[in-house]
Amino acid sequence: MTYRFSTRQTLAHGLLILGAIIVLLPFYVMISTSFKSPAEIATGTGGVFGSQALFPDPTCLALGGNETECLVRPVRDNYSQAFTAAPLWRYLLNGVIVTASIFVLQTLIAVPAAYALAKLKFWGRDAAFALVLFCLLIPVHAIALPLYLMLAKLGLTNSYAALILPWIVSAFGIFLMRQFFMTVPDDLIDAARMDGMGEFAIIWRVMLPTAIPALLAFAIFSVVAHWNDYFWPRIVITGDRSLFTPPLGLREFKGDLGGDVYGPMMASATIIAVPLVVAFLLAQRRFIDGITLSGMK
Amino acid sequence: MSDLASLTNSVPKQQRIARPERPERRQARAGMVLFAPALVLLILILIVPVGVAALLSFTDYTLGRPSIDWVGLRNYIDIFTGSSYRKMIVATVLYVALVVPASVFLGLGAALLIRSLNVGQSFYKTVYFLPVMASLLAMAIVWEFALHPTLGIVNRTLAMGCGTPLELWSWFARSCIDGFPLWLGDRDYALYTLAFIGIWQSFGFNMVLYLAGLTSVPNDLYGAASMDGVKRGWERFRLITWPMLGPTTVFVVTITMIRSFQVFDTVEALTHGGPAKSTYVMIYAIYEKGIAQNLVGLGAAITILFLAFVMLISVAQRRFVERKVHYQ
Repeated sequence: MTYRFSTRQTLAHGLLILGAIIVLLPFYVMISTSFKSPAEIATGTGGVFGSQALFPDPTCLALGGNETECLVRPVRDNYSQAFTAAPLWRYLLNGVIVTASIFVLQTLIAVPAAYALAKLKFWGRDAAFALVLFCLLIPVHAIALPLYLMLAKLGLTNSYAALILPWIVSAFGIFLMRQFFMTVPDDLIDAARMDGMGEFAIIWRVMLPTAIPALLAFAIFSVVAHWNDYFWPRIVITGDRSLFTPPLGLREFKGDLGGDVYGPMMASATIIAVPLVVAFLLAQRRFIDGITLSGMK
Repeated sequence: MSDLASLTNSVPKQQRIARPERPERRQARAGMVLFAPALVLLILILIVPVGVAALLSFTDYTLGRPSIDWVGLRNYIDIFTGSSYRKMIVATVLYVALVVPASVFLGLGAALLIRSLNVGQSFYKTVYFLPVMASLLAMAIVWEFALHPTLGIVNRTLAMGCGTPLELWSWFARSCIDGFPLWLGDRDYALYTLAFIGIWQSFGFNMVLYLAGLTSVPNDLYGAASMDGVKRGWERFRLITWPMLGPTTVFVVTITMIRSFQVFDTVEALTHGGPAKSTYVMIYAIYEKGIAQNLVGLGAAITILFLAFVMLISVAQRRFVERKVHYQ
């Protein structure tokens, strides 16, 4: 009995390890390539982390440096090129600005609306909630063309506003917070009213603290989606590099520098993917809850 | 005011409806004020654009030109008769038809296998969820390199199989002689390759949803079934697990469909809709026609068609959930 049992376990592990190898393959390729010299990439040698043998940097040679001055370590060269060939710091900063602004504005708009839907009786509340449910059906990416035209008419393309504005109202955020606020007992709110708190103070000082777990999950959902979003920035940012978000920067890297700079390109990809992957590894439970939030619909 | 509130608070719930009028009106006003910003923005950002797209789909509008002419249904007729648009529908539907079942069943299979483990559950869960977290654009570029015809690890690894019994597989033997596929550069493989990347990226998400669904299957059902003589794994799955996962499956299928309909990053970065329009999916077509080529009318018509697809899926899901799949 025990023998049969362990055969099954071994078989399951075997299948899952096979799957894990395929899942991890591109991560391995990305990190390993970012460590290698061009010659090692071209010949497919160098093992996992490359031999790290010094090699002469071609741009340095072209600038007239001599062979010994221009020797570089592949890994250092790849990562320093990632930051010098393109303003990667700027892209990362833009990514932070955009994702943070989107989340803050989404919260400022969704939380009061969700509180009103959950706890206040007002004329048209059912219709308002029906509108939110209807808006859940509309993927913002699908209406990118009319949104782009509206922003273009307002002269807002190629600006932070274009990157942020279409996302500041999240039907999903309103829906999620409303569902959460529904579970907060009325007595808590009545008590706050008795203490003389206004509705606005109730939202931020009574309701929001009870909803921290939901808000945190929504924050992860929102930040992951917008840090990784490529489609929308691609549409509204044309040409102005100083507004590029990390995925746009990486795409430009690939487009501009052609096929032969895989080392620095993989270094850039690693740098862009690392913040979220590390955050995920540190707080897996929260991330999985946040990303699969849409499972609550 | 506070006295009134404490009075209403102390009466039993049924009588509470009869509140004094003034606080109620205050509440109503506060409610409207608090919902107003969201209302305005939902209408401006989500509802108005749908209307704008619907209107523009009957015109020949282009950005920057002052005049605008009604062209009736011509944009829609173009879509349903033009050969490149037929390819667009074919590519989109084929992509969805490839990704959805594979991603759903791999997600379910991974969840079932992981649940059956004594050790290592969280390890596999983490690994399989990684692609969901990582930037799809970055990973698409990495896949492109991995699938590079000569430099890529995939073809290099496949080539090592030449001269081994793998050559009994005729496709493999032929590839050993003629070279392994170009993958993204070959019209016969490009869409399948993109679908593979799509599956790779999405099945971990489905796995997590199925793992959550599995925890909600009551254990005593299995006990009851084993008393009724249902002992074999497959029978247990067929009679209990699969039906109990019904709501999860409906949701997983819907969200995977909607997401795969929206595939863009891999197409834009790796194939530009080619070769020979074999990967010309709808969102990419909207981008190319409506924005890059400024053929707004056509782009708007594709947008409306796309929205119709997505709404249909969502409405079908809601109907299905209401009607069929609840056992509890």
